[in-house]
Amino acid sequence: MLSSFNLFDAEEKSLEQAEDLRQRLEQAPEAVRDGIASLIEAYSRSVREQRRLVRVSDRLQAQLASVNQELGKRKAEAEDALESLKAAQESLVQAEKLASLGALVGGVAHEINTPVGIALSCASHLADSTTSMRKLFEADDISVEDFERFMDTVKDTTGLILSNCERAAELIRSFKQVAVDRTSSERRRFDLAVYIRETLASMGPHLRQAGHTVRLACPEGIVMDSYPGALSQVLGNFVMNSLVHGYDPGQSGTLSITVEHEGAGSVRLTYVDDGRGIPEDNLGRIFDPFFTTKRGSGGSGLGLHIVYNLVTGPLAGSVNAESPAGHGTLFTIVIPLSP
Amino acid sequence: MDNLTIAATERSPAVDFDFAAGRLSLKGESYPEDASAVFGPIFAALEAFFGAARDREVSFDFDLSYFNSSSAKALMNMFQMLDQAAGAGCRLTVNWFYAADDDTMKEFGEDFSEDLSHVAFNLVSVE
Repeated sequence: MLSSFNLFDAEEKSLEQAEDLRQRLEQAPEAVRDGIASLIEAYSRSVREQRRLVRVSDRLQAQLASVNQELGKRKAEAEDALESLKAAQESLVQAEKLASLGALVGGVAHEINTPVGIALSCASHLADSTTSMRKLFEADDISVEDFERFMDTVKDTTGLILSNCERAAELIRSFKQVAVDRTSSERRRFDLAVYIRETLASMGPHLRQAGHTVRLACPEGIVMDSYPGALSQVLGNFVMNSLVHGYDPGQSGTLSITVEHEGAGSVRLTYVDDGRGIPEDNLGRIFDPFFTTKRGSGGSGLGLHIVYNLVTGPLAGSVNAESPAGHGTLFTIVIPLSP
Repeated sequence: MDNLTIAATERSPAVDFDFAAGRLSLKGESYPEDASAVFGPIFAALEAFFGAARDREVSFDFDLSYFNSSSAKALMNMFQMLDQAAGAGCRLTVNWFYAADDDTMKEFGEDFSEDLSHVAFNLVSVE
């Protein structure tokens, strides 16, 4: 049964019938017989051609099918690989976050350790002195010199305890800022120019004290739907960065803030001071947590790290720092009007 | 006569000929290496069935997503057989299914239907 199946069964039967017909045309004129014979020959050739085409075409289609299968397999493999890459990337990001959190906590612990340690040894020294004084007092044997020495000790140690506890408290406040909880900070609509002016006004005392001039160039009427608290903190940290690092005591300068549209949905805010600038070696590290050149005199190394976190986090933008030699420091942030 | 049921393979369609109920179907892809191995049994069963079908009511579903040139030729032969059976009195309906976004398969259905004068032919778009 199988061997009898023939795709061109009908065509072959037609050819046989045609051959029969031709043989019955013995009596017909030669021209008619030749004509029929060549028609049969042409049809036969056409059937052979059809068979050949079907065979060639089948082979191509089979090749196409296996190529498609291979393609599907490769695509599935590539998709699997992409999935594992994404998973690996995700876990790397998580690990990085944990590592930076670890570094942050380690840094905070290290930072707080110093003032707490100083306060502790001062308190201990004060306690010892007080015990000695009490003994002298109970023996009614306090000389004026003893008392004056004790008073000096009290003044020195309490002063150190106070200043170091304040330093520790300030570090803890900074740490809380670093760990800004994005969800708790309020999002609302606000006019950018108005808001920047308010922020600068709140920093007026700092600026006036040092005699700095502030210039603001911001188009009126830019309305953002974003996190004003974060933006205010970013500007505040830029200004404090300039005040602490940019100028020598008594030196006054000019700080300027320029806002421009950046495409349809973003703004570019450029902050420039004309202070001493940032050495090239440090420029790549200023956004790292606890990087500071003022460790000994009150810098926590967290200000610009907070800026980086706020701009790339809640504000969904980017921040860049430049310091052309001898031309102060320039920070550029590009943030969407509505993150 | 016995029904004919052949499971689909990677390169040949599922055959489900329920002769008792008069419902026949070919479903899947068809690009076999040996067309006669696939279509031989199908044609043998159809010839036997339609040879005795007389004025029975029969529906034949073609739900093919892909076929090669041999299969196309086999389908052409099959439609010729179906049209002859319908011409001889069999009340035959052919449903040609095609994916809504597959214009080629729709055009094949239209092509085949042009050669049919006795069969009721339906083009059925499947979402």
